[in-house]
Parts: sequence; C-alpha cells; structure tokens
Amino acid sequence: MIKPSLKFIFNYGILMLVIGVSGCGEKKTEKNITPKPPLKTESQTLELGEEVAPEPVVVTAKTRETYQWYCAQCHGIKGKGDGINAKFLTVPPRNHTKAEYLETRTDEQFFKAIKFGGLSVGRAPCMPAWGNTLKDSTIHELVRYIRELCQCEAL
Amino acid sequence: MKKFYHLLIIGWVLYSPKFSHASLIEEKNCSACHRLSKVEKEKKGPDLFYAGNKYQDTWLEEYLQNPVTLRKAGTINNPDFLKRELQNPQQHPILNKNDALNITQELMLMTLPGLPEEKINPLTKGQIAKTKYEFERTFSCISCHQSLNLAGKPRGGISGPSLVNAGNRLKESWVANWLKNPKIFSNKSRMPVYKMNNETRLRFTKFIMTLKKENLR
Ligand code: HEC
Ligand code: HEC
Ligand code: HEC
Repeated sequence: MIKPSLKFIFNYGILMLVIGVSGCGEKKTEKNITPKPPLKTESQTLELGEEVAPEPVVVTAKTRETYQWYCAQCHGIKGKGDGINAKFLTVPPRNHTKAEYLETRTDEQFFKAIKFGGLSVGRAPCMPAWGNTLKDSTIHELVRYIRELCQCEAL
Repeated sequence: MKKFYHLLIIGWVLYSPKFSHASLIEEKNCSACHRLSKVEKEKKGPDLFYAGNKYQDTWLEEYLQNPVTLRKAGTINNPDFLKRELQNPQQHPILNKNDALNITQELMLMTLPGLPEEKINPLTKGQIAKTKYEFERTFSCISCHQSLNLAGKPRGGISGPSLVNAGNRLKESWVANWLKNPKIFSNKSRMPVYKMNNETRLRFTKFIMTLKKENLR
C-alpha cells in the first residue's frame, strides 16, 4: 500500500500544482483554468442515450419547476447566472438570458453539458452532471426552456 | 383479533420511536420545524427522524446548546431558499445543558431500521489528494458545499449544508449511505444523484470525514 500511495502523491501533487487548486471554489486561480480532457470516472462513462429529441419537446410548468429546484441554485431564479452559489464559483454560471453567447452553442452541446457536466463540452467542471438525476426527456425540455430564456436559437 | 392488536402495538413501538421515547422533544415542540417521521409533510428545518443514524452525539449535544449556521441559504424547503444569503440566520432555540443531553439521547434513538454499516479503511495521503481533486473538479461537490482548501480556509458554494465540520458532525456510515441512496432519507433532494462505484463512494465518505473545524486556519 505504500508504493502506490507515493506514486499518487507524486502524480496528484503535480496535478494539484498545475490545475488542482483551480477547483470550483477559489476565485483567484481563475486564470489557471485550462480546458482539460476530462478524467475518466464514472460521471463520464454514462451512455449518451438517444441523441435526437423526440418530437415535439414542450416546455411545461414541470420543466420550469425542475429548473427552479436544481438549476436555480447556481443559474439564479430568473436564469441570469446569479444564483446563491454564483459568487463562490471560480467560473460564473452561464447567464441563460443572454443570447450573444448561447446562440453560438448548439442544442446538442447544451444537452451534453447538462447530462454529462461542463467538462464534457470543454466548459468548467463547476457545472455538474445531471444524467443520473434527470431523464433524457427532461433534459431536452430544459434545453428548450433555456432557448426560451435567451429567446435565441443556435445560429 | 387479539393477534391483530398485538401486531398493531408491535408496529407502533417499532415505527414510532417518537411516541415511545421522545417526550422532551414533544414538550419542546421541535416538531414545529422538524419532521420526526418520514410520513409528515416537509418542514422548514432539516429532518430528524433518522437523527440517530446521521449525527454524532457529542456534536448534537454541543449544537443544541450552541447552534451554528450550517445552511447559509436556509434549508431547501424554506420558501426563501435561493432568494438570498441569510443576513441574520434565524435564531435556533437554545437548550440548557441538561435538556441538551436528554434530547440528544432521544434523538440518538430515532433511527431507520436496516441501514447497512460500512467499514472503511483510513485513506493514504495520496488517496486524500486524489479525492480532494475529484471533490473539487470531477464531481464539483464544492460548487454547492463549503469545505476546506489547502490553506485551511472554508471555500465553496452555500446551497448545500457546509461540510467544513462534517467529520465531527456526521456518522461515517450515514455519509456512505447518503452517497449510495439519498432516496432512503429524502425524496426531494436538490443534490445531483451520483452513481459512484463502491471504491469511489467509500473514498469520498472517508474524505468527508477528514473535514474538521480543528483544521481551520
Ligand atoms: C453547481 C452550480 C450549477 C448548477 C446547480 C447548474 N449549473 Fe449549469 N453551469 C454552471 C456553471 C459554472 C456554468 C459555466 C461553465 C463554463 O462557462 O465553463 C454552467 C453552464 C451551463 C450551460 C452552458 C454550457 C455551455 O455550453 O457553455 C448550460 C446549458 C447549463 N449550465 C444548464 C444547466 C441546467 C439545465 C441546470 C439544472 C439541471 C444547471 N445548469 C445547473 C453551474 C451550475
Ligand atoms: C423555528 C423552527 C425550529 C424549531 C422550533 C427547532 N428547530 Fe432545529 N433547526 C431549525 C433550522 C432552520 C435548522 C437548520 C439551521 C442551519 O442549518 O443553519 C435547525 C437545525 C437543527 C439541528 C441541526 C441539524 C442539521 O442537520 O443541521 C438539530 C439537531 C436541531 N435543529 C434540533 C432541534 C431540536 C431538538 C429542537 C427542539 C428543542 C429544534 N431543533 C427546534 C429550525 C427549528
Ligand atoms: C447542485 C448542488 C450540489 C452538489 C453539486 C452536491 N451537493 Fe451535496 N447536497 C446539496 C444539497 C442542497 C444538500 C442538502 C440536502 C438535499 O438537498 O437533499 C446536500 C447534502 C449533502 C450531504 C449531507 C449533508 C447534511 O448535512 O445533510 C453530503 C454528505 C453531501 N451533500 C455530499 C456531497 C458530495 C460528496 C458531492 C459531490 C460528489 C455533493 N454533495 C455535490 C447540494 C449539492
């Protein structure tokens, strides 16, 4: 048990030095965030499931409730990226009402970000993976809801 | 018919520890804010019907005399949850030493039957470093929970309970069960469900147990 642990200390020591301290909770290391290939862990080894949204995807009161229950913790009650956790995160939660950036992202990218987390689409890990919490159909609805919030479509 | 009544009484004793033991808790009206059984409607304080599984008795005794804020954004069932950070966290009732001791004993008897006990080996330094990394990045636990950074300062989000003193507050086995199946305790959680493999789950459990306020600097 001692040998591998030394190796861990070494490997992770280096990792921590380079990027480790730039988790999701420390502001000052913001500039150190480099898109990193995701570590291979359970959260990344989910199946991608059906890629195409079953037609038609309708945003219902339930969709909004789901957003309020889970997403508003970081993205804010109105989706403006100002939830109560926002100021403690290294990378600010995306403002879901701003079209300029969101129209450069596709629905598939949104779907993937929500299901597998920020790392899966080259964004920050502070955006958690919801694939074990929400059904694919719910995630498709949330993508539509975000499109409603930004009043924008992918360009 | 007689048998039926016997069953009823046995069932009552087994499933309603609050009636059989918790007299002081009732007297102090703790159930105004805390659920003492799972069938009640959600209340604004955290659930206590499995307090005996979840908390360390020394922590409970201290908390009841000297409550500290663990949820800066309020509890998840609070109507104001998410609206703002609490400026003046609501005053928790404060108990004297004697009542605190007695209520702690009552709380320790409130348990869910049949929770598996898990025995976990201590972590190596390497495993701690690895888990810390995953806690902060891969699984982004830190986005919602305060923990300690390398400098011994609290950091992290506030929508989940602070884990800064989790090692003195929570029971190891409870944490392992929570990470495996939060539904046992709550149908309405705001935390993402993580399907960790066993090795990772137990490593995370043990890591959480290393977080203690003595390590604050
Ligand atoms: C713990 C905080 C947190 C929670 C909870 C959260 N997010 Fe995020 N989210 C973030 C952060 C931080 C980013 C920004 C990542 C970046 O820009 O690198 C983000 C980004 C996003 C993006 C944009 C990804 C992109 O392509 O840039 C989408 C879409 C999104 N979140 C949807 C959701 C949905 C839907 C939920 C609820 C199911 C949710 N988020 C819950 C923190 C969170
Ligand atoms: C007015 C509502 C209210 C009453 C009455 C009340 N509590 Fe609480 N209690 C709360 C809230 C809210 C919290 C969470 C505070 C926080 O997390 O910062 C809490 C937290 C606790 C905790 C810590 C649990 C945890 O997970 O953080 C214990 C133990 C507790 N209460 C026991 C009691 C007992 C015993 C009584 C009766 C003597 C009681 N409470 C009466 C509202 C109440
Ligand atoms: C999106 C926010 C969020 C993320 C990410 C998150 N949690 Fe939580 N967690 C919560 C909330 C909110 C609670 C309070 C109970 C609830 O909502 O069911 C909680 C409760 C807990 C508890 C029980 C604490 C208590 O005192 O009741 C533990 C332990 C815990 N989380 C550990 C973790 C770990 C480990 C991770 C990462 C693998 C994690 N959490 C990720 C929001 C989060």
